[in-house]
Amino acid sequence: MTAPEQAAVLVDPDERRGGTGTARFVLKKILEAVISVVLVVVLFFFLFRMLPGDPVAAMTRDRVTSPQQIAELREKMGVDKPVFVQFGQYFWNLLHGDLGESRLLNNGRPVADMIGERLWPTILLVGSATILAVVIGLWLGIRAAWRRDSLFDRTQTGIALTLWSVPQFWLGLMLLVVTNGLFPSRGMHSPDAAPDVLSQTLDVLHHLVLPCVTLLAVFYAQYMLIMRSSLLGEMNADYLTTARAKGLREDLVRRRHAVPNALLPTTTLVFMQFGMVVSGAVTVEAVFSWPGLGQLTYDALHGPDLPVLQGVFTVLASAVVLMNLLAELLYRVLDPRVRTS
Amino acid sequence: MTTPLLQLKDLNVTYAVGEQEVPAVRGVDLTLDPGGTLGVAGESGSGKSTVAMSVLRLLPSTATITGEIVLDGEDVTAMKWGRLRAVRWAEASVVFQGAMHALNPVRKIGDQIAEPLRLHPPSGKSLTDAEVDARVAELLTQVDLPPGRAGAYPHELSGGQKQRVMIAMALACSPRLIIADEPTTALDVIVQAQVLDLLSRLVAEQDIGLIMISHDLSVLAATCKRIAVMYDGQIVEEGPSAEVMGSPKHEHTRALAAAFPTVGDPVSRFAPATSNPLPPEPSERVVGEPLLAAENLRVSFRDRTGKRIDAVAGVDLTVSRDEIVALVGQSGSGKTTLARTLLGLQKPDSGVVRYAGNPVPSGGAGLKAYRRQVQLVLQDPTSALNPAHTVYEAVAEGPRIHKLADERAVVHRALEAAELRPAEKYADRLPHQLSGGQRQRVVIAGALALEPSVVVADEPVASLDASVRGEILGLLLRLRRELGLAALVITHDLGLAWNIADRVAVMYRGELVETGTVEQVLLDPRHEYTKSLLAALPGGTAQRRTVPN
Amino acid sequence: MTTAETPRQIAWSRRRASIARTWQEFAGQRAALVGLILLGATVVVALLLPLISDESGLDVTKATGEPLSPPTGDFWLGTDNFGRSVLLMTVWGSRISLLVGFSAALLSVVIGTVIGITAAHFGGWVSATLLRFTDFFLVLPSLILAIALSAVLPKGVGTIIVAIGLTAWPSTARLVRAQTLTIESRPYIERSHALGGGHLHVIGKHVLPGVMPLVLANTTLVVGNAVIADATLSFLGVGDPNSVTWGLVLESALNNGAISRGAWWNVLPPGIAIVLVVLFFTLVGRGLETVLNPRLKK
Repeated sequence: MTAPEQAAVLVDPDERRGGTGTARFVLKKILEAVISVVLVVVLFFFLFRMLPGDPVAAMTRDRVTSPQQIAELREKMGVDKPVFVQFGQYFWNLLHGDLGESRLLNNGRPVADMIGERLWPTILLVGSATILAVVIGLWLGIRAAWRRDSLFDRTQTGIALTLWSVPQFWLGLMLLVVTNGLFPSRGMHSPDAAPDVLSQTLDVLHHLVLPCVTLLAVFYAQYMLIMRSSLLGEMNADYLTTARAKGLREDLVRRRHAVPNALLPTTTLVFMQFGMVVSGAVTVEAVFSWPGLGQLTYDALHGPDLPVLQGVFTVLASAVVLMNLLAELLYRVLDPRVRTS
Repeated sequence: MTTPLLQLKDLNVTYAVGEQEVPAVRGVDLTLDPGGTLGVAGESGSGKSTVAMSVLRLLPSTATITGEIVLDGEDVTAMKWGRLRAVRWAEASVVFQGAMHALNPVRKIGDQIAEPLRLHPPSGKSLTDAEVDARVAELLTQVDLPPGRAGAYPHELSGGQKQRVMIAMALACSPRLIIADEPTTALDVIVQAQVLDLLSRLVAEQDIGLIMISHDLSVLAATCKRIAVMYDGQIVEEGPSAEVMGSPKHEHTRALAAAFPTVGDPVSRFAPATSNPLPPEPSERVVGEPLLAAENLRVSFRDRTGKRIDAVAGVDLTVSRDEIVALVGQSGSGKTTLARTLLGLQKPDSGVVRYAGNPVPSGGAGLKAYRRQVQLVLQDPTSALNPAHTVYEAVAEGPRIHKLADERAVVHRALEAAELRPAEKYADRLPHQLSGGQRQRVVIAGALALEPSVVVADEPVASLDASVRGEILGLLLRLRRELGLAALVITHDLGLAWNIADRVAVMYRGELVETGTVEQVLLDPRHEYTKSLLAALPGGTAQRRTVPN
Repeated sequence: MTTAETPRQIAWSRRRASIARTWQEFAGQRAALVGLILLGATVVVALLLPLISDESGLDVTKATGEPLSPPTGDFWLGTDNFGRSVLLMTVWGSRISLLVGFSAALLSVVIGTVIGITAAHFGGWVSATLLRFTDFFLVLPSLILAIALSAVLPKGVGTIIVAIGLTAWPSTARLVRAQTLTIESRPYIERSHALGGGHLHVIGKHVLPGVMPLVLANTTLVVGNAVIADATLSFLGVGDPNSVTWGLVLESALNNGAISRGAWWNVLPPGIAIVLVVLFFTLVGRGLETVLNPRLKK
């Protein structure tokens, strides 16, 4: 061997790059996420406090308010001060967990408290729907891609495309009409459920069925389409010919070689679609009066209670940013090509 | 007489394309004795890869095979799937073209080498993990890779290393036959020599039969005892390597052989394989004043870790009127960056590019005016032409940008000068309706339409078939002789320099290590690197002789 | 040249031939063709509605039917809680939905295309900033942003169009950027630069023609999404309260007791209408994509 080839053989790539790559990458991504969250705060501050012109007028739009109430609001919100002072105050409060107070619902309860108590139902709903949607979607996607143009593929793709065209809230309404009382239509608890843990759990699960099915129906379809096209993209890859030449059975060619490659981009996409799931949750919760952040949004919209909306949206958008951060870090862990470069 | 290792009897392969059956291989008969080596040569589309892949029935499902493929006494075409899977890799394994894609990017190379071992355990009973690891280590050592690299992923290896992994994988089950499909095509000439050397040494040592597919006759001649030449799905010539190379009988073999001239062979000096006769050298040939000059040019890039890498590290180079300069180097040597900098497509960190003595402006009208003088011809004409633009539009693009008068006459002249005659016949065709050679002529016509005085050609024939190569080189030489057009031809191919260039500059790691006339540099190299390039030529070099000027 | 055709004429006849070829390929996909025909029919009906139907039946005060009457001979799809014909409302709802869908999609596609091409073409800090900007908005749930915008702006059709248009562009920008990068990495762009072509030349002659087919296919898909977004916003109560939209019919079905009383005819027709319109757009969009996206060709 001569110089270049030999040098390349002997130098270990890990030594060349040093071990700091991953740490630097993680720090960089976390920093980016923090900046994004700050931008989210600025964005919603701008939207809810600046865009309506006089926020007090916007808040009291469509309702009867006395001049005294308006003056009180003005002072409380400090709308007479310069913008950056207002923002500074808002941001400072935010860092201390204070998202302001609800003006028109619940008589001035702290927004943070309201969000706190609505958070868990939303996490339960979104979490269970996402997990089921991923499992079902990926499995169907793999099968459909592997039997491209088969009856199974065409049926499943057709169903997925149709579901993709369905507005989620309408699917929820239809389920309500069709199941006709088989499942609870509102809320998360029945007042008459027995107090023991098992009965309570079953009661919540009973309430969870319809919202969860509504939410997952649309998202599984999307995950399926992503997985299918990702796997189709790998189908003609040369390394599959190598695997076949080795004498591997066709199902092993698929399991060991094609699927792991196709799974990588799909996994990240699943995480990146989290924003859509959150949007879906807002409408689905409104349909089923599921006591989560979506229901809170729905109620606040009818107020309109802008501080509550601002708080909820800031929290939801930040959660989405964090999920995205997770997706990027996960990709780094899963894909050796990204891990070492 | 021993039973042959592999016998192809009247092999025919057709592909179903839409409703039609397109023949790819027509009546091929080939025989390989145990431990023998056979090269199959041909251009793209000649059916050579189809022949190779048919041996293990690795063709796509649209292919239909008729005839017999007798591997070690057993007809592969008649095997059931289970038997075929058992035979694959255990009896015959494959070294694929472009190991970059043939290895699974998300699995460690050690696992990929071990996979066939677990699938076809040599003694019939499955191996323990320790035995597998030991065998993988042994295989990696055989291909001169440290056993510790078993944990590496394909993207962490260089092209040559990946091809070594492919070879290790092919040897894993000690097969009786290895099929190597263009095993060195994407590799640099020095790495290619190493890989070829390794492969022929290992098959000889382990008494494995080898079928090697290549478009490069000299590669096959260096590795194989016999060569079969394919053309249009048929074998047009077969015989011992020396005979096929030395006195080719079929005209197509002659074209293939001429495409890879022996450096130092006076017959091929200033004589690319072209069907049109070349004009004689003008009687008064004055190599004129320098037209294009680089002075202490430096270009650097940041790599992914942020470190500055000098792609071009202080280069001085001149190209004068009426001469062809070949810039030779491996991929990564910085030659393409140098070309882009000369064209003003890349800003240098320091140093100047001069045209006719004046520094080239870095932007504005001055740069635009410069572009009429110095033009570019790219490597792959298929991607150098917008697929949606006709030949006319492609050639007229330059004249329109520069608002030249009488566009149609200019385009017509340029097409004729690039030997697309009659011009009308080609004007409204789209690139995909042309052959590779015709496309490259369109690219050249597009450059000529601006009537430049210098053409910078970046690997102008590297992606073309052998028989077209000579025609394009002939065109460049003809343009020089007829119009006095200067050219800087960037290439990895020393034979190209020998074919048409007047001077050679050898580039290595961003620097010009040796510059001089073709005869000086290629026949009497001074620098170590030039020597190793010449030594790596699969066909070797001819003995030093007096070369007629 | 002997023929009388000028290069421009040649170019045009070739372009016509290429459009005809694309059309043939598109029409060869049955699902896409069916989608296009039905979509065309829907648009024509929506446009001609004022000529063939009476708008007055939409007025609550002029409603003639019994509240929540099931489908009868007079009211084929029953009535809502005010006694209005559900059929009439569903048919008239198409006008706003299609108007919002097309306008919002156009707005977002124009924004997305400009940002996408700019982010890919110019490089340097302009690109980096635009890319970050796009990524930021791509991550954020666009429906949430649209809800926020329509909650603070005056209620009306215009607000809905702006809210959807201003929030739906990032995916188009991403797509256009990727396609622009692909095109600009092709050597013919390098050749064009070497011939002396500037930014405008390269974008106008190579990038835009290369990106447009994909943008066209993308637009039809975006219209479908915008129709859903419009219905969702109306359903959440931030739409235009004064016009009849599918989302509003569904909202009133939920809140005015139609569902609890099992009045499925208040839920099914507007929903089916949404699904069909979106499905038509999706079918046409996917058909166009198959024909026009080089990456999807086998």
